[in-house]
Amino acid sequence: MIKHPPGMTSESRRRIRLERTYQAPIEDVWELWTTKEGIESWWGPGGFRVTVKSMDLRPGGKLEYVMEAVEPEQIEFMKKAGMPTAHEATLRYTEVVAPTRLAYLHAADFIPGVEVYDVSHLIEITETANGVRMTLTFDAMHDEHWTNMAAAGWEQELDKLGQALSS
Amino acid sequence: MHSEVFQTLSDPTRRRIVEALLSGEQAVNDLVERVSIHQSGVSRHLRILHEAGFVQVRPKGAQRLYSLRAEPFRELDAWVTAYRKLWEARLDRFGEELERRQRARAAKRKEGSS
Repeated sequence: MIKHPPGMTSESRRRIRLERTYQAPIEDVWELWTTKEGIESWWGPGGFRVTVKSMDLRPGGKLEYVMEAVEPEQIEFMKKAGMPTAHEATLRYTEVVAPTRLAYLHAADFIPGVEVYDVSHLIEITETANGVRMTLTFDAMHDEHWTNMAAAGWEQELDKLGQALSS
Repeated sequence: MHSEVFQTLSDPTRRRIVEALLSGEQAVNDLVERVSIHQSGVSRHLRILHEAGFVQVRPKGAQRLYSLRAEPFRELDAWVTAYRKLWEARLDRFGEELERRQRARAAKRKEGSS
């Protein structure tokens, strides 16, 4: 039985979670996640172009895409960082339930200086009185307990650690 | 940051040791008691944590005292912050694209009705 450190047991701190509410039809939200045009329209940061090579939308299926720097500033940045200006990436779907639930595994790419590591992602879409609510949950440790510590409650842990280290 | 940071902490016993050390420096015997596994197991996990930079050790009399080092935890924290930022920017673009689609649809409807 894993013992939780003090203050770390509440559900809200278990994972890293982002939540947005959009004034849009739920079908549009689902389409942006699950079509080639949809993904290409928002996935890449400014100055980069994303091209979806293949999309097999079912559990076990893959999404393959290329992300390419297209603006001079980004091309320069990638070159300086010693990285290729284009790179291919693949994610693997683990759950597909239109139009409310999508889960996949994906290497956490595109953070300079960070090695690739598989992260599980879950997207939940629900219609509410205020609009369509979308929550994205990611779990780098593939383990609820650890992510609990690595997520929102982490600063608190660091504080405790700081105290422990300085005492 | 290296995926080694995650891998080192992917073991539940090592996480228990880390948690036990949050309250401060401890000798192996104290840790054995607190995480309730055999001493050889604790020693083995402490060695792995030490090699990965998570813990430091100092001698005190006949004892060896273990404590946490902040660096790998800061790395982990920086990684989480960077990943969250990446996604916040992505979700901003997601929202913009949703709006663009609706505007395009409204414009088309207007065109059709005129």
